[in-house]
Amino acid sequence: MTDMQEALLHANPLLSRFDPLPRIIVADDFDRGLQGWTSLIGNYEDSLDSILPPYRDLRGPMLSNLSMWDTGSDGSVSGTYAMKLATRPHPGALAVAIKRLTFRHLGPIRLEAYFTFKPEAAELKLSETDVRAVGVLFDLQEIDRHGGMPQRVMPHLRYLNALDGEFVGRWQFKKERVALHEIGGSGKTKSHFHLAPEGWEFLPDGDQRLCYNEIATKQNWYYLRLDFDLATMSYLRFQCNDRIYDLAGMPGVEPMRMPAMANLWCMLNTAFWVETDVAKRAFLYMDSVVLSGDW
Amino acid sequence: MRESHTAVIERNVTWQGEFATEPYEVAWAGEAIFFVRVLAKENLPDIVAAHVQISPDGMHWCKEGEILYLPTYDFDGDLVFCRVEHFGGWLRLAGELPEGASATVIVYLVLKE
Repeated sequence: MTDMQEALLHANPLLSRFDPLPRIIVADDFDRGLQGWTSLIGNYEDSLDSILPPYRDLRGPMLSNLSMWDTGSDGSVSGTYAMKLATRPHPGALAVAIKRLTFRHLGPIRLEAYFTFKPEAAELKLSETDVRAVGVLFDLQEIDRHGGMPQRVMPHLRYLNALDGEFVGRWQFKKERVALHEIGGSGKTKSHFHLAPEGWEFLPDGDQRLCYNEIATKQNWYYLRLDFDLATMSYLRFQCNDRIYDLAGMPGVEPMRMPAMANLWCMLNTAFWVETDVAKRAFLYMDSVVLSGDW
Repeated sequence: MRESHTAVIERNVTWQGEFATEPYEVAWAGEAIFFVRVLAKENLPDIVAAHVQISPDGMHWCKEGEILYLPTYDFDGDLVFCRVEHFGGWLRLAGELPEGASATVIVYLVLKE
């Protein structure tokens, strides 16, 4: 990045709190709407009943001004609105927001975001173990003229906040593939539930205490950054606040990999999700998201 | 350009007994339409009312006054709607079906600044 580029980024109130690579692919501040972040649905043929059951009711995003019953509107980091994901109120329920792009250059990409999560303030209790997990993923597929054995590659990372009522507070990754199911009768549609609770592994040294801040109606925002190399389809680096993980130096930390699928070439999807641990809604709020690339 | 958004707040969900859609935040919007498309129905009475409800916090709800009547007869078609405005921060639809009655629905909330 040139000095001039850097000076311009630092003069921009949205971008100055990010560290993007030279090309900004997406700079979404949710004060300007949902900006292409949408719901995730499982694949289907002929009937919605053909969707794999865990894919049927993933809750989609909404715009929130973070209004609390006791203190009114909290707003977002530097504005009024954030993208909100809210689960249904039963253990294991998920809400997901996805953005669907394709890539033009095989090189490093960097996803950055400011986010926070809380349970619904339905009880006058601390409730710090009510949110099970929040996560981030890429869903990628190599180019059609790959020449070798092209792959679909799915880096998944999540912060396991709590499980079955017990605080965990550790980052996890997932490389284990889940079963691929045929959908419908055409032979052309497949589906696999990659957000399933099975197969998560702890990131080495991945424990992190975040700023829960005492009661369910106070939100403090966190910074997240995930660097991935599309040329080698491998992790580079992960960061949450002050904690930095050199994933390129952790050979055991791998994304899910599988043979390329029929119509996903150059896919560059990214998604965030939240899962509740109890019979109470879990909320994930995203203030802003920047995706950048190096070319 | 006015901001707009269509949210699918229920998809292929079967309502039985008391029902309510999940809370949806709408503070940015000035007007809304609830659409309900009925995919399947069983033993519906002549009149099934779904009440628009509003809330200050997404947890405590009161009736807004607008009522959406589900299409109970074949000549009603399968799609109904109601319009709402001046609704604050949250919206949902809530109602009750008698024992033995059910409706499988898709519910859209179409919002505009």
